[in-house]
Amino acid sequence: MTKRTFLYDKHVELGAKMVDFAGWEMPVQYTSIIEEHKNVRENVGLFDVSHMGELIVYGEDALPFLNKLVPQDISKLTDKKAVYCQLPNKDGGLIDDLIIYKLEDKKYLIIANASRVDEDLNWMSLNQLGFNVEIDNISHKYSLIAVQGPKACDLINCAGLIDLPPFFSIKRAELFNINLWVSRTGYTGEDGVEILVKNEFAEYVWDKLLELGKQYKVMPVGLGARDTLRLEASLHLYGNDLDENTTPVEAGLSWSVSKTKTEDYNGKKVIMEQLKNGGRKKLVGFRMLDKSIARHEYEVYSNGEKVGVVTSGGVSPMRGENIGLAYINSPLDKFSVGSTIQIMIRDKLHDAEIVKRPFIEKRNKV
Amino acid sequence: MDENMLCTKTHEYVLEKDGKYEVGITDYAINQLGDIVFIELPDTNTEFSKGEVFATIESVKAASEVYMPISGKVIEVNEEIVNNPELLNDETYEEKWFIKIESEADQVELADLLDYSDYREEVE
Repeated sequence: MTKRTFLYDKHVELGAKMVDFAGWEMPVQYTSIIEEHKNVRENVGLFDVSHMGELIVYGEDALPFLNKLVPQDISKLTDKKAVYCQLPNKDGGLIDDLIIYKLEDKKYLIIANASRVDEDLNWMSLNQLGFNVEIDNISHKYSLIAVQGPKACDLINCAGLIDLPPFFSIKRAELFNINLWVSRTGYTGEDGVEILVKNEFAEYVWDKLLELGKQYKVMPVGLGARDTLRLEASLHLYGNDLDENTTPVEAGLSWSVSKTKTEDYNGKKVIMEQLKNGGRKKLVGFRMLDKSIARHEYEVYSNGEKVGVVTSGGVSPMRGENIGLAYINSPLDKFSVGSTIQIMIRDKLHDAEIVKRPFIEKRNKV
Repeated sequence: MDENMLCTKTHEYVLEKDGKYEVGITDYAINQLGDIVFIELPDTNTEFSKGEVFATIESVKAASEVYMPISGKVIEVNEEIVNNPELLNDETYEEKWFIKIESEADQVELADLLDYSDYREEVE
């Protein structure tokens, strides 16, 4: 039985094609993935991402508990600030990737992947022993609406919020006289916000944003464009680019790992060792040199030898070519920006070039 | 769509024109695929049996294989859609066939296919 978000009827009304995603019936597109994609880069798009999980971690030991779970230093997090985190197992492999917000002292909000909420909760309970902490899964009470694009902030201003939270921060706010949470985060590489709102107000806020957003050329955007947008911005997708056999170092996420954190955390030994000596594999970005498209799980070759695997691949509407992410597993030093690799597509090898990530210039650093 | 075309349950169609056949995919399939960004078609003179993969079509979302609705030899390839795959999503564009074929097995194999109206009923 698939689950539906509180905006399901809105999607159907808007003519969306619905698909199953992580057990949720979600809109994959309303008009055209490419059109929706471009509109987010040029104007603004509205996404229903209510399938994402929201967890509240609170109590006396909330901070040391979270510090045991992630390679980031949660003690550095000040009130209302957010940090991109990973949830490693004991071997450094990733159970999930998360955003953790500090709401107030001893109280944190975690945004988790829809497909991983149950695993995350299970892992957290296993680690809970000895910590005075409560974990509250509020996913079923809240809807999450992302507003993304160069005109996203204009739209939110217009909706009644003048002082937007700074990048990677959250604040309690009022939009259309509804109390909700607004955070300056997203998954597109554009500026914008994500709105966490009680389910009963989700339709109202969605409708108002669409109506008010007309002047900014707002469009509803489905999961199809969400995927092409995040790929251009080189943002990882759990299940494609991240899994339990991949460490943050291997995934190119070393930048996010604390180098100075003194507390022990799950997987620390492996992660610290890899920070020094490198991982077993390395994530690279590539562009296809012909019109073919690399997809998840296609094999990567070099000089006739299999050297890796594609984890995400597709079109880049902004570059007008096809791009992807792949793990290269041997020998790593041979592959750098400018190197040519081959991707096996339907029994034929196609040339690709390793390029710098992200594939487009991100515009969310404000 | 031409009402005389015959369809497969895998969304290919075949349409007779002067003893030759046009082969492509249905409007329903195009709509389901969404933005089409890549089409790979066979060379002329290639022969295929019914049910063999003769083309690949990629939308933004995924790659799909296209199967021969009847056996035959390719006599013409629609280069226009290979060079401009987005034409398939253009409702005003008419020439959406993939290949033209000659077939000797036509009378036997066509009988297995669905009328367009039956096909629409099947998929809707």
